Formats: sequence, C-alpha cells, structure tokens
Amino acid sequence: MSNADERFGRVSRRIGKLFRAVLFASTLAGILTLAVLLVYVANDAFQPLSADPGWHLVFLLTLVVPTVATGWWCYRRSYGTLATGLLGTVMPGIAALYAGGLAALFIDVIPTLVWLSFVIALAVPAGVVVALRRTDRSIPFLAELGAVLGVTAGSLLVVPGLVQGLPTVPADWMVLVLTLGLPEAFLLGRWIEGRWGRRDGWIAGAAILFGSAVGGVLGTATGFGAIPGVALTMFAAVPTALYVTIVLRERPERRIGLLLPAVIVGGALAGELLVGALGLTGPAAWVDWGFLTSTTQSGDPRSVGIYSGIVGTILLMFVVAAIAVPAGVGAAVYLEEYAPDTTFTRIIDVNISNLAGVPSVVYGLLGLGLFVRYAGQPTGTLLVGGATLALLVFPIVIISAREAIRAVPDSARQASYGMGATRWQTVKNVVLPRAFPGILTGTILALSRAIGETAPLLVIGAAQVFGIPDSWTSTIGAMPLQLYVWASTYASPAFYTTVLAAGIVVLLTAMLSMNSIAIYVRNHYEQR
Amino acid sequence: MSNADKRTDVSEGSSGDEYAVGVPEGRGRDRDADGEASTIIESRDLSVWYNDNQALRSVSMEIPEKRVTAMVGPSGCGKSTYLRSINRMNDLIDAARVEGEMLFDGKNVYDDDVDPVALRRRIGMVFQQPNPFPKSIYDNVAYGLRLQDRTENLDEKVEDALRNAALWDEVKDQLDQSGLDLSGGQQQRLCIARAIAVDPEVVLMDEPASALDPVATSKIEDLIDEMAEEYTVVIVTHNMQQAARISDKTAVFLTGGELVEFDDTEKIFENPENERVEDYITGKFG
Repeated sequence: MSNADERFGRVSRRIGKLFRAVLFASTLAGILTLAVLLVYVANDAFQPLSADPGWHLVFLLTLVVPTVATGWWCYRRSYGTLATGLLGTVMPGIAALYAGGLAALFIDVIPTLVWLSFVIALAVPAGVVVALRRTDRSIPFLAELGAVLGVTAGSLLVVPGLVQGLPTVPADWMVLVLTLGLPEAFLLGRWIEGRWGRRDGWIAGAAILFGSAVGGVLGTATGFGAIPGVALTMFAAVPTALYVTIVLRERPERRIGLLLPAVIVGGALAGELLVGALGLTGPAAWVDWGFLTSTTQSGDPRSVGIYSGIVGTILLMFVVAAIAVPAGVGAAVYLEEYAPDTTFTRIIDVNISNLAGVPSVVYGLLGLGLFVRYAGQPTGTLLVGGATLALLVFPIVIISAREAIRAVPDSARQASYGMGATRWQTVKNVVLPRAFPGILTGTILALSRAIGETAPLLVIGAAQVFGIPDSWTSTIGAMPLQLYVWASTYASPAFYTTVLAAGIVVLLTAMLSMNSIAIYVRNHYEQR
Repeated sequence: MSNADKRTDVSEGSSGDEYAVGVPEGRGRDRDADGEASTIIESRDLSVWYNDNQALRSVSMEIPEKRVTAMVGPSGCGKSTYLRSINRMNDLIDAARVEGEMLFDGKNVYDDDVDPVALRRRIGMVFQQPNPFPKSIYDNVAYGLRLQDRTENLDEKVEDALRNAALWDEVKDQLDQSGLDLSGGQQQRLCIARAIAVDPEVVLMDEPASALDPVATSKIEDLIDEMAEEYTVVIVTHNMQQAARISDKTAVFLTGGELVEFDDTEKIFENPENERVEDYITGKFG
C-alpha cells in the first residue's frame, strides 16, 4: 500500500479520516448517553439486583437462552422468519396494552350503559343513510345531508335518555360484545370472506363473536373482570389468532417463525413455575400491578400509582385525535389539491412549517388565552387540555399529511382527471386511498409527540393532584404531568429513584408502542 | 369475440414487415376508400403559453372524425401540449394560458360556459406511462362509469370495453386482481379499456406505446387501427414508422410549437411540401 505507483502518486486521506472519526464519536456520544440514561432508569424501575441470583439464573436458562437461540436460528433460516416471530411476539403485547387502556376507560370513565345508549343513538342515522342509499339515488345531496343531520340530532337527543331509562340493564360484557364485538366480527368476517371465501368468513365472524362473549363470561367467573376479559379477547386475542392463521395459511415458509413467541411464553411460564417451586424471590420492581392501578396521590412512594395519569392520557389522545386529525388532513388536502399557487398560499406554507417549531409552552399560553380566558372554560379540563394539545400537533399533522399526499404520483391524478373526474372525485377515489398509510403514520407520530407534552398542560392549569376524570369538564392529568408532580410537588430522594423511574418506563413504553405501530404501518405499505 | 379474433388475424398477417426499417411505404391502412370524413375537432390560431414560454404558435388544423390523426415532431415541439389542449388537461397546470379557439363538435371548448369535466367525459385520454389505478381490473374499467353514475349493466359494459381493448381473453378469469399485476402492454390496454368504457367520441393518446416493448407495441397499434372504426383517435408519437403505419392524417410540429405541415399521411411521408419536414422524416435532423 505504502509504496504507491510513481506514475499516479497518492492523494492524502488524512483529513477525511479525522473527519470520519469525529462523526463517529459524535454519533456514539448521543447514543451512549441515551443508553446510560435508560439503563439507569430501568435499574431504578425494576430493581433487578434485589432479586435472588438464583432467580436470574432460572430465567436466564428458561427464557433468555432459548429465546436468543431460537431467534438466531430463525434469522439463519431467513430474515422473514425472524420478522414473523418478532411480530408474533410484539403484536400481542402491544395489542394487550391498548386493550387494557380501553378496558380502563369502560371500567372507570364511561358507564357501559351510557356507551350503549350513544351507540344506539348513532346507529339510527347510520341505518337511515343505508336505507336512503338502497332506495333512491336521485335525492338531491343537500336534502340527503339535511335529513341525515336532522335524524342524527334528534336521535342523540331522544335515544340516550330512552335507553338509560330502561328497566332492565344488560351486563357490562353483553354491552361490549354487542357494541364492539359485533362490528368487529362483521368487519373481519367480511375481510376474511374476501380473502379465503364465504364459508371461512362466516366461521371467523361467528368465532369472534362467540370468543368475545366467552371472554366476558370467563372474566366474570374468574374475578379478572368482565370488561378486561372482553377487551383482551377482542383486541388482543382475536388479532393474534388472525395473524397466526394468516401466517399458517399463506406463509408456510415462515410458519416456523411462530416458534419464537411460543418459546418466549413457554419459557416465561416455566421460569415462573420453577422460581415458585424453588422459593426464589424475584426483584422488587417498582413497575408492578399496584403501581399501574393505584390512583393514590401522596408522599409515600409505596402507595402512589400512575393509573389516573394513564387514563388521562388516553382520554386526551382521543380528544386530540378527534380535533387535530380531521382539521389537519383537511388543511393538507386543501393546500395540496385545491389551493392555487399564489403568494397567499406560499405565506401559509412557510408559516405552517414555522408553527411546527413553536415551543410547546407558547401553545399552552395560546390555549390558556383562547379556551380559558376568552371562551370561559374552567382551567385544566379534559376539553381544554385536549384542544390545546390539538393546536400543538395540528401543524405536524398537516405537514406529514401533505407529504403523504404529495407522494401520490401525478400520473394517478391525471388518469382520474382524464376520465372526467371532478376534483372531489379524484381526491376521494385516488388521492386519499393512496395517501392513507402515510397520513396514518404521520398522525400516530404526531400523537406520540403530544403524549409526552407537559408544559402546555401546566400552563392551562391542569391540577397538581388529580383523580380519574368523569366528564368533559373534570380536571385532567396525564402521564408526563404525573411525572412532573412526582419530581416537584412530592420531590424527595425517595421519589427520584423509585416511582419516578417507574413512571418514565410506563410513559416510554406507551410512546414507543405508538412509534412501532407507525413504523410497522409504513413498512407494510412500502413493500407493496 | 369477433373483435378479438380480428385483432389476432391482423397481427399475424402483418407481423412480417411490422418493423421493417427504412422509409415506410406510406400508410398501411385502407380506410381512405370511405372518402372524406367530416371534421370533429378544429383549432383556430391556437396558442399556448407556459408562463412566458410559448409552447404552441397559432396552430390551425382540422381533425377528421373516425380517423387516426398522428402528431409527430421532436421533443418540446408542442405536440403533447396540443393534445392536452383538446380536452383542457392544460387547465390543471396553473402556469398554462391559452389563446385562440379549439372547436369540438363546433363549440369552442375554451368558452366560459364549457365545463372541462363534462368535456373530458366525451374525450378519453391514454397516457405515455400506463397508469392503471391500484384497484382491481374490473374497478379500473368501471371507474369512469361509476364517476358518471352509469352503473346499469356494469358487468356487461366492463366486458365490452375489455373485449374492444383486446384484453378480455387474457384477464377474464382475474378481473378482481390488481391492475398493477399486469404486464406493461396489458396495463396500457387496460388504460385504453378504461378510456373507451364510457364510450367517448374521441380518444387522445399521448405516446401510448413509447414505454412498451415491440410485441406490446404492435398489439396497441392493431388496437388503434380497430378503434378508428368507432372513435376518432388522435395520437402523439415519436416514432415515424408508427405514424406512417397507423394514421390517416399526420401533423408535423417542429421546434418552437409551430405546425409545419398537416396532410394525408401518405402525402407527408412520400412527398412533403416543406423541406424541413422532409429532412425530419428522413432522419436528417430531430
């Protein structure tokens, strides 16, 4: 190497190498700092050193070693096999998290009877729409819209009162099976019918309906709770079973990857049994069932919990999504498909990018001024908090939705316009369906930004001590706010290394699960 | 059925000299026995600007009904712009500005009372790159009919369009598969089926075969020949031989958006008036 050919000579790479080393160092600095922080937090939250060494050994042998070995073996077979195995492991986990969140809503926030009454109230106008479509297509659009809006308003006024006044009340699980299980069975049944034929569709639909009912009955019988039983069956067990079926039927070459989740579950169970039999004590983790379900707010780290924060965050996210997504996607469609290229729209363009970078405290102040001072809402409520966070993510939703819409090839629009489609028909039939995965990904990422925001909630006057909200106007808390309270109001060294770390783990889990869903959606549709 | 059979005959009969190189022997068509056709599209002093660039300079031309009219010329000569100004696809470009008249069926399509969307429902369009929607083959063909709420006998109309586009026999068992799963040539015939399903009067084609291999190209050319029985076809092409093979009339555009010569295809290729046109079609420039 060193004795270069004299005819060419050599060009020095010294500065280039130095530059490369500096770049590498800065990359490492960032990643290592984060890793150290996470290890620190995880150590505080789970206290692994408090466990018996034998406990670690048992789980190393039953869970870690078999999992790593199986994973490696799958990877050697093919990357797809490992991906199948990982998805089969992660998906039920995340699905169970969200099913748990949903169950929490029905247990503590929305009485099932109220839920049922509103579902029925909305089913009436939906039925009217279907009936109108079936009978006569010549009704003018505005008349149809007016009729549907009128029926909706009337039904929302009358039906909930009627249903809630009924003398006999259905059990919680029956309501859930009726309002959520039935639509799920119908939709998935239709989907399976399109994929594998009519007979399988019916079987699947019936199985889903029956399964969710069984979940409810079992939940009641075992004392686990009827609502968690139904929620877990419908939103964790059913998707998992569906995924396993799809892999078994359509991806025989990846079938073996399902061994990975089986090994993990089996290993965990075996380890648990063995540890119990040997009398080894596990770590005294701070993230435990008590921490997740306690609503106590006090100075005692042993008794406090993050439950009201979790419920508050879920509710806030619903409000944020309900406000920011329609408005943001609508603005994006307008700016991309309708707006003429004028100075005015260019000014809007630039300003949306700027708005996305405005510090969140400023949005908090905006929310305070707009909703509390001007609109006269009480401080720190669910509605005000959700609306303020919606303002915060609104520009992010617009920007990501615009990018998704811009990625729809122009040839698709031309094809549609060339067929004599109106702009609305083109947007509805061509642009939005193709942009949908991108819009969904961007929306989830925007929500995962909102989930960690503390400052706006503080500014709009969210309470320092909060319980579970039971109406639009009750004071709301959220996970990051809960962390802030533990780090300020209850500040003590005991909190810093205990529940605060546990809270961080819960918050990060929620955020990372959302991000992983977004990444999955994006990859899934990019492959097509 | 008969259409499909006929298409096969045509392609087999002419496949021998389909790609003969050299100056073509004039039109390979025998339609002019029908005599003169009436004019369906006529432009009068049509000029188009993109911002300050003039893409078309005062083009006047009469396009006959139920004939194939080809537009040839080097890149950037304005032939695609002319095609797109017939069904007002240029409206979609903010920077485009049109002067002069484009008469379709005796009516200036740039009049204020002409709805461009309604106009495009009477004038179909096929693009350079096959651009089926990511929907099933059936839904692709039914797209235009559904837009117009013409959904009676939809199955029948879809089948007819696919037969007329010589695609039915190849796809009749996979109508619910995605249009994107077809080969390039099949996709382009699907786009043609999609365009003719709504029964337009005119079909505009913007270099429909330039992205296809020779076999697929020859199928498209045979299909265009068939289509002229029912529709007026206006086709932009880069390929001189193709223009000579399939068209009745040829318009030659040269750089700067000028229509240099417009006449019967035979005349253009055998005895052009304009020297620049002769140079262009014999390959001396362009």
